[in-house]
Amino acid sequence: MSQQLPVYLIDDDESVRRSLRFMLESYSLNIHDFDSAEAFFAAIDLSEPGCALVDVRMPGLSGPQLHAQLVQYNSPLAVIYLTGHGDVPMAVEALKLGAVDFFQKPADGAKLADAVVKALEHAKAHYQDNQYVKTYLALTPREREILNLIAKGYKNQEIADTLCIAMRTVEIHRSNLMRGMQVGSLAEMILIYGRIAEHLKVLDSD
Amino acid sequence: MAEVSAAQATELGALTVAPAGELMDEAGANYQVVDVGVLAIRGYKGTINRWQPLMGWLESQIPNSYFRLHPLSLEELAKGVETEGLDFVITNPGQSVMLARQYSLSWLATLRSPINNGAAMQVGSALVVRADSPYQTLQDLKGKRLGIVSKNAFGGYLTMVYEAQLKGIDLPDLAGEIVPLGFPLDNLVYQLGATAHLGGTNELSGTDAPSGKALSVKALGLDAAIVPVCQLEQMQAEGLINIKDYRVLDNQAPVGFHCQVSSRLYPNWSMAKTNRATQTLAKQVTQALLALPEDSPAARAAESAGWTTAVSQLAIDQLLKDLDMHPLQTPWWQRAWQWVKLHQHWAWLALAILVLLNVYHFWLEYRFSRRGRELINTQRQLSENRALLEHAQRIAIAGELGASLSHELNQPLAAIGHYCHGAEVRLQRGTSPEELQAVLNLIQQEVSRADSIISRLRNLLKKRSVSKQPLYLHQLVNDTAPLLAYELEQHQILLSTNISGEAYPLPLDEVGMQQLLLNLLKNAADACVLRQQSEVDAAKNYLPTIDIDLRYQDRKILLTVTDNGTGLTEDANLLMQAFYSTKSEGLGLGLVICRDIAESHGGRFSLETALGGGCQAQVSLPRKLEGAPA
Repeated sequence: MSQQLPVYLIDDDESVRRSLRFMLESYSLNIHDFDSAEAFFAAIDLSEPGCALVDVRMPGLSGPQLHAQLVQYNSPLAVIYLTGHGDVPMAVEALKLGAVDFFQKPADGAKLADAVVKALEHAKAHYQDNQYVKTYLALTPREREILNLIAKGYKNQEIADTLCIAMRTVEIHRSNLMRGMQVGSLAEMILIYGRIAEHLKVLDSD
Repeated sequence: MAEVSAAQATELGALTVAPAGELMDEAGANYQVVDVGVLAIRGYKGTINRWQPLMGWLESQIPNSYFRLHPLSLEELAKGVETEGLDFVITNPGQSVMLARQYSLSWLATLRSPINNGAAMQVGSALVVRADSPYQTLQDLKGKRLGIVSKNAFGGYLTMVYEAQLKGIDLPDLAGEIVPLGFPLDNLVYQLGATAHLGGTNELSGTDAPSGKALSVKALGLDAAIVPVCQLEQMQAEGLINIKDYRVLDNQAPVGFHCQVSSRLYPNWSMAKTNRATQTLAKQVTQALLALPEDSPAARAAESAGWTTAVSQLAIDQLLKDLDMHPLQTPWWQRAWQWVKLHQHWAWLALAILVLLNVYHFWLEYRFSRRGRELINTQRQLSENRALLEHAQRIAIAGELGASLSHELNQPLAAIGHYCHGAEVRLQRGTSPEELQAVLNLIQQEVSRADSIISRLRNLLKKRSVSKQPLYLHQLVNDTAPLLAYELEQHQILLSTNISGEAYPLPLDEVGMQQLLLNLLKNAADACVLRQQSEVDAAKNYLPTIDIDLRYQDRKILLTVTDNGTGLTEDANLLMQAFYSTKSEGLGLGLVICRDIAESHGGRFSLETALGGGCQAQVSLPRKLEGAPA
């Protein structure tokens, strides 16, 4: 279902924008186009997954500036750069910022479509992660503590001992935890925790 | 001594064979033969009739003399004097002066007129027209046919020419045609009368009364004739014509003078001795002439009242001199030739100098033209070099604009690529070709866009044409600015254009002007970028701007490009020198070329520091350019 996710095309040059849209739509992509970064920001909910195809050079906010804002918002939107004449340093910078790909205009349609599909997968995963993080952040401190210990492989008894609480209390927390994380099994919960651990470190350090 | 009969001697051309001297007649007596040449104005016979009685008188007065009469024409008379075939000449005043100044002649006596109380002044011209003609003055004869006796005839022509000249009229120029008919004079009068009877016959018969010879003349259609004074009156007296058929124009006969005359009067006929006659004979002849009674047959035959002492011929001298016909007044070329013959060494020197001067002149001319050609060549080379430099600089700008241009070109190419690919994928996925028709239009639009960019660029790269075409400068500005748009955008430089005044076209060199604009904009952009990069401004909120201000004024167009970049770091004059550049990659030509281009349009180019600290370049183009609409 990744095809249904929106692809945002941001380019100040109308003819390029229209032609790109025409090309990408032939790959059944769901395209929305904007003539500037500002217009894009005004119209889009940045927390939703999607893919942003961004022209590097634009009047107003440039492609990298737009990308930087997305990163700041921790937006799940995946970014692919498009540029008139690709220069290596800019590509390096772009990829460091977390861009999914980098294309030089005129882009090869098939490759670009592939990249977009990939980016959408990426965005979906990113979005999912965000969801998990949100869920995690909804947990109480005690629940997070217990989740942390579970992830480290502690048994219920060991958790109760470590936290100096009753075994029964640990069990209640644990079932609440499963419900809050919306997972069916302990294994799944531990897997998700592993995935969001990266984000958590960032969050914890804040 | 050869014996020559009178008849033989009077044969024309036989004059020279008749030597002066003594003849022995049949009786054995010694005779002194005297040859007298007479101007035959009224035919051979008339002349004999007129003068022979005088010869008889002379013979009767001078013992043992035999006077031979030779009626001669003007030329023959002159020739006779020249070859000394004559002892005496009787001729009219005009010729008398001519002859006297060329040959040694001594004037003995002047004929007295019988009509005018024996006056010695008896020669002049009568300008005769028919009584029924419309002519009233000499002026009326403009372009008409004028009959005369001869161009050398004194009484019958020259006195009239002189008279006209005194009135400021060039008679030969005034008359349409001058027809010399020669002697006898009667012919002239008949010819003039003949035109009156042209209706019937163009042949006219008359009688030369003195000779009795019938005249048969072809009518020449004369409008007027110039005859010696008293000719008409005499012919009337002889019953040859009716004087009422004729009219004399501009009559100015003095009181008591009985003939009509159109000119002033000059001395009458005179007799002169040539070198051949002896002084003794001359004295005898003079005495005989003066002794001739005024009513004697000889005097009457000569239509005279005897003879008087020779009168002054100054008036005649004056006339001939003024008409440039004086015998002493040889034509200028003849005089020049004589001078040359006399002063040969000077002439040769003058000629040599003339030749040398000419050679020098041509040499100078040659050198001058060679130098001129060299100069033109140098100038052409110079302007060719300048054109090459300008071209080089344009290519340099194009190079500097490379990023901008490749971006501009890449956009439509990218679009075309996208459309093609999109269409291809759609076709593969089963979209019908008809549905894709619209894409072709879009592609076409992109092709046009690329084309316009290329042509804009080509304009910049092509050699500058010399011709100027009427263009609106603001259109050129609007056309040129986009070439830099990408670069400006890239550095976030804000370009604003302000056009004011009522636009009018000027003859502009399109490529040159575009180059000037690009140079100014590029310089401004470079200055802004330089300031952006400097650490001082980088932190601050520096907003780079370039303002184009174009003002159409009454007398000029003022174009100002102002930036807020780093400003002038060097003296403006230094910057406008060729090959001076503050940029590491600059050619140092941009501003020189700007100034050149402005000046080639009769305008001015200046560079100064702007108020905000940037740079302000100003071009002013005068409205009054050659070919510019007023």
